[in-house]
Amino acid sequence: MNNADILMGTNLSKRFDNLEVVKDVSLTVKEGEFVSLVGKSGCGKTTLLSLLSGLEKPTKGKVILNNKDITGASEDELALFRRDHVGFIFQSFNLIPTLSAWENVALPLFPIKMTGEQRSRRAHDLLNQMEMGHRIEHLPGALSGGEKQRVAIARALINNPKIVFADEPTGNLDSVTGEAIMAILNELHKKKGMTMLMVTHAEELAASADRVIRMKDGEVIA
Amino acid sequence: MNYRYIWKEIRHHRHRTLVNVLGIAVGIALFVSINAVSAAYQNAISLPFKNIGADIVVQRAEKRSLDAVQPPASMRGIRLPFSNQILSSQDMENLKTISGIDTMATSLLLWEFDQGGFKTIMGVDLTAPSLGPIKVKDWLAQGRFPEKTGEAVLEKHFAKFHQIKLGDTYRISGQSFTVVGLLEIKEGSQVASANIYLALADAQSLLVGSTRDINIAYLHMKDPAQIDKIKTEIAKILPGVTITSSDSFLELMGGMSQISGQFSLVVSLVALAGAIFLIIKTMIGNLVERSREIGILKAMGWTNSDVQKQLIGETFLQSIMGGFAGIVAGYLIAYLLGYLSIPIATPWELNLTPAFAKMAETSAKTIHLPVSFSAVLTAAALALSFFAGGLASYFMGRRMSKMKPADILRKL
Repeated sequence: MNNADILMGTNLSKRFDNLEVVKDVSLTVKEGEFVSLVGKSGCGKTTLLSLLSGLEKPTKGKVILNNKDITGASEDELALFRRDHVGFIFQSFNLIPTLSAWENVALPLFPIKMTGEQRSRRAHDLLNQMEMGHRIEHLPGALSGGEKQRVAIARALINNPKIVFADEPTGNLDSVTGEAIMAILNELHKKKGMTMLMVTHAEELAASADRVIRMKDGEVIA
Repeated sequence: MNYRYIWKEIRHHRHRTLVNVLGIAVGIALFVSINAVSAAYQNAISLPFKNIGADIVVQRAEKRSLDAVQPPASMRGIRLPFSNQILSSQDMENLKTISGIDTMATSLLLWEFDQGGFKTIMGVDLTAPSLGPIKVKDWLAQGRFPEKTGEAVLEKHFAKFHQIKLGDTYRISGQSFTVVGLLEIKEGSQVASANIYLALADAQSLLVGSTRDINIAYLHMKDPAQIDKIKTEIAKILPGVTITSSDSFLELMGGMSQISGQFSLVVSLVALAGAIFLIIKTMIGNLVERSREIGILKAMGWTNSDVQKQLIGETFLQSIMGGFAGIVAGYLIAYLLGYLSIPIATPWELNLTPAFAKMAETSAKTIHLPVSFSAVLTAAALALSFFAGGLASYFMGRRMSKMKPADILRKL
């Protein structure tokens, strides 16, 4: 495993009006590492993930992702950076209801100049890897929770990201389906060396990561 | 811009699409129908003059009609109408000196009063085939137009009422004429509507003491834009004559005729602006509804420009659909309104029948609106629907660029 830092957050703080949600947090994630960010609901872990992934700008502090300081980047620069280097998996799947499974997977590629066939082939390959080959043309409304999350994982991988940020990826799933999704994430990490930062409130899921970072009241406690 | 995505959004959100398309369609339909009807009205008003190919008609009214102190002339036999006294040869020579007149034709209009009532007789100048009342020959229902003296064409209903057929001999003031044709007066033709049409020389021979007299001059301009200027010149050279053009009809018309070109444009643009405002409000409302989707797109790496292009694509597709629907609906409304008959008031001096016989010419005074397809209006309507789409896209883009993905996703 390569030990280079791929993500570095330094003295990160985030304030919404009078409420400081993240308080002077510093952390690093090494390339190929699987890190879990664990803590109770409302402790600031999702906000920290947003800061580290470039979805949100910190009130204070600095984020270096893939050797680029993204702290002062504009909204559009951040969008392009996410498109090229970052994958996201959300708790509520966040699929576009009007698009089929493969179209949702290909969504990050829509603004990129490439043929429809290339997009389609990559999306189909990833869905097949997720054992979703039989549901490729289905709309999200016709998929189960586990299937939706598999589509979301495929979408997160479509741009060959340097790092995948997963926010409570099993939060909306029953335990059996959740375990299956975790198995996929673990396999991506172990077999493909995918760097991952996963937010969860479930200790047993966090335990499968290489390293666990605990948060409480906006601060890293361990 | 991803066309597959645009099409799927439009198809999937049918209700939303329908509201947007209908909004644009209503605005465009109003624009098209108001302008098409207004143009038809303008055409209707110019129809009496168009039918005779003239831009200006010159007449001289009887002095008594202007000065009531003078005693009335006898009302029996052949006489000149009050509004059509003789235009002297000097008057005609003076008219010819005015530059800007392309062609000129003349006619002699007579009334004949007898125990059976009255009739209007039009002596037609056969030497000017495209100007003046000779144009009624286009409306021949049977036979032909007079080619020499001694021949007459009768208006079809007049002939039927008097039981006269083609080839019969018809007597006017003691002179015999062979009926060589019957014609049907068309809509909006009151300027040329008479009971009997004769060669000019025959009409002149009916008027006692007349040799080469005429009482109506029809002028066709080289440049129709110069009508007002030439009307002023005629008034200067021939004081006391009445000079009429299609504007004279407009001045007499009330109600709908007030919808002149500019006014109708303003009304339709105001209607369209209202529709565009509603569309923008609806689409921005849609944007709020779609904030989740926009948040996802931005999180997945779509820039503001990428999202905006997508929304523009959707808006423009809806604008095209609304534009076409509006154009079709607008013309449909306009053509339906075209079935309505509208009355066209005639300036008294152009009314060829005596004032007491108004009923006899009602049909000629009432016309259907001549609504017609206009490529310019259609292109303008399409351009406006694109403009509406562009404007809506602009406001949506402004609102959308302020949406931050983290703010949106946090609320989910």
